[in-house]
Amino acid sequence: MVEFPRSTALRWALGIALWSVLLSLATFAFVYWQTAAYLREELAETLRLEVRTAAAEPAAAAVRVDTWIAMDLHATHYGGLFGPDGTRRAGNLGLVPDHLVRDGDAYRVSATVDIAGRTLADETWAASLALPDGSTVVIAHDTDEIDRVRATTLRALGLALVPTLVLSGIGGLLLTSRARRRLAATEAAMAQVMRGDLRKRLPVGNHGDAFDRLSGNVNRMLEEIEHLMGEVRSVGDAVAHDLRTPLTRLRARLERSRSQARTVAEFHEAIDQGLMWIDQTLAMVTAVLRIGEMEDGRRRGGFTRVDLGDVASVAVEFFAPLAEEKDIHLDVSVSSADHTIDGDRDLCFEALSNLLDNALKFTPSGGVVRVGVTRAAAAAILSVEDTGPGLPPAEHAQVFHRFYRAEAARRTPGNGLGLSLVAAIAKLHGAAATVRATAAGGCRFELTFPLPEPG
Amino acid sequence: MARLLLIEDDAETAGDVLDDLRGRGHDVAWAATGPDGARAARDGAWGAIIVDRMLPGQDGLCVLQDLRRDGDRTPALVLSALGDVDERIRGLRAGGDDYLAKPFALGELAARIEALLRRPVDSRETVLHVGGLEVDLIAGTGRRGARDLELLPRELKLLEYLMRRPGQIVTRAMLFEEVWNYRFTPKSNLIDVHVGRLRRKLEAGGEAPLLHSVRGIGFTLEPDG
Repeated sequence: MVEFPRSTALRWALGIALWSVLLSLATFAFVYWQTAAYLREELAETLRLEVRTAAAEPAAAAVRVDTWIAMDLHATHYGGLFGPDGTRRAGNLGLVPDHLVRDGDAYRVSATVDIAGRTLADETWAASLALPDGSTVVIAHDTDEIDRVRATTLRALGLALVPTLVLSGIGGLLLTSRARRRLAATEAAMAQVMRGDLRKRLPVGNHGDAFDRLSGNVNRMLEEIEHLMGEVRSVGDAVAHDLRTPLTRLRARLERSRSQARTVAEFHEAIDQGLMWIDQTLAMVTAVLRIGEMEDGRRRGGFTRVDLGDVASVAVEFFAPLAEEKDIHLDVSVSSADHTIDGDRDLCFEALSNLLDNALKFTPSGGVVRVGVTRAAAAAILSVEDTGPGLPPAEHAQVFHRFYRAEAARRTPGNGLGLSLVAAIAKLHGAAATVRATAAGGCRFELTFPLPEPG
Repeated sequence: MARLLLIEDDAETAGDVLDDLRGRGHDVAWAATGPDGARAARDGAWGAIIVDRMLPGQDGLCVLQDLRRDGDRTPALVLSALGDVDERIRGLRAGGDDYLAKPFALGELAARIEALLRRPVDSRETVLHVGGLEVDLIAGTGRRGARDLELLPRELKLLEYLMRRPGQIVTRAMLFEEVWNYRFTPKSNLIDVHVGRLRRKLEAGGEAPLLHSVRGIGFTLEPDG
């Protein structure tokens, strides 16, 4: 039993070779067919012409036949003039060949020929016509010549097949082994990636072919994965880091109280402080979990019609005391249009209160924080604008990232999750969260909510 | 004070809750699985049931749904490790009267249980009296003794909520849910600021304190505390 070649390269090479052989066979067949037909037609035409000329002048027919025979040096021209009773009057054909129709067209027939005193049987192409007196003129030509040409052509073609097969086989092998080399390099790179080295990239040649494009795409995918992994890692690092701080404090406090606290009141104080730090860490863990949950896109079950104008009014009223304490002017303006969206009202309120919380935190005394609800063509826009120090444009995209804290925010309390929660809530609502600088140098945060589908 | 049933599979959590509620004078029984809990719920007359969402054997919400289908209206509070709004809505739809996400403060749970036990409050009353405090909800006016109080609409709502639950501890989260009608945990101490403002108005005439803070839990309106 012959085992079918396993190697893709070999299979490809065989396939290519086989295909080129088929292709050349087809070409050869065509060439052969055309050549043979041409030669045959050429001869037939000559024979037709000759027999017609001979028949045209019955008196000179014998001379015409002899001239035809004499034209040829290799004894391949035959002819004959036969009386009505079949007796030969001129030429070198023994008899009128059997089965020869006397219509002036050329046919392949067997004939007996007298050459150099011998009578031979031979295959001929012959044309004949009847003369007015009942006699028959025949012009014929030996088939050997055409047969030889045909045989030669066939042999040549057959011989050419061997080098074609060899050459195309070699070509196929070369092509596939080149493909295999590229594949091997790609496979090696992939193996490295699978072993965990996400910085490895697939080799991309400069051919710009499908292979290169595929590698390029895989590389872009790897970049995205590396970026995501990096983000996950940095979020993990940030969580761990932010957890460690309050836990370290808590530990120190508990240890100190255990050895130093004397009265119940002192113990209570230590425990209250500890509970506060624990609540702080829990709040952070909860925030991370909720962001994850919202980014998953579940949670739309609680969606109802939400009037952003109501949300804004209540939120501003809720934050008013904080603004007053800091001597910040807090106001809200709601345009007269309809600001109803499909959403989760608790989450909308939470997003706005995170924005307000931030704005009030960074706006200095005497500043202004403005909440606005307006309508654009196909959107309801919730905005919070402040007169705080603003953000450098370079940080605009980053503020919504998890645990990102602007330079100015490093010394204020907070866990860097507020705005990412806002971003997650926006995303859940299909809303765009953006930030830009105001003319006065502060920040303007905007949440652009799509309007609900009518009906 | 009241007979409570706790259906919770985690022994550690159950132990803490049992200790805390018993310490507050309640008579609490514990079931660790869904089927056990369902049986206990049917067998006894309970003041309130606390049921965990994830239980071995049977989901807490199913236990609750079955009870409601049989016409049992015992107030129920659903506990869950999933703090998601969808979960809360599912809990309330299944027949829960309140919902609390883990991890929770024991004080928060106790305050919510007390609130469930004291239901239903007569909400038809439109003129409320607590101590020397009087509030007319229709007119939107308030008086302490002979002194008129100038109350903003939200302060009136806040006061109404507290006056309907005199002597009962209400937590910040409960106030935010009931008075502002939104549900999440505000980061800042804004609830305290609002309560503080109301307290100043109540005590502006140098009267005795009426609105007290309960350390680590919330507030209570207590006449002559």
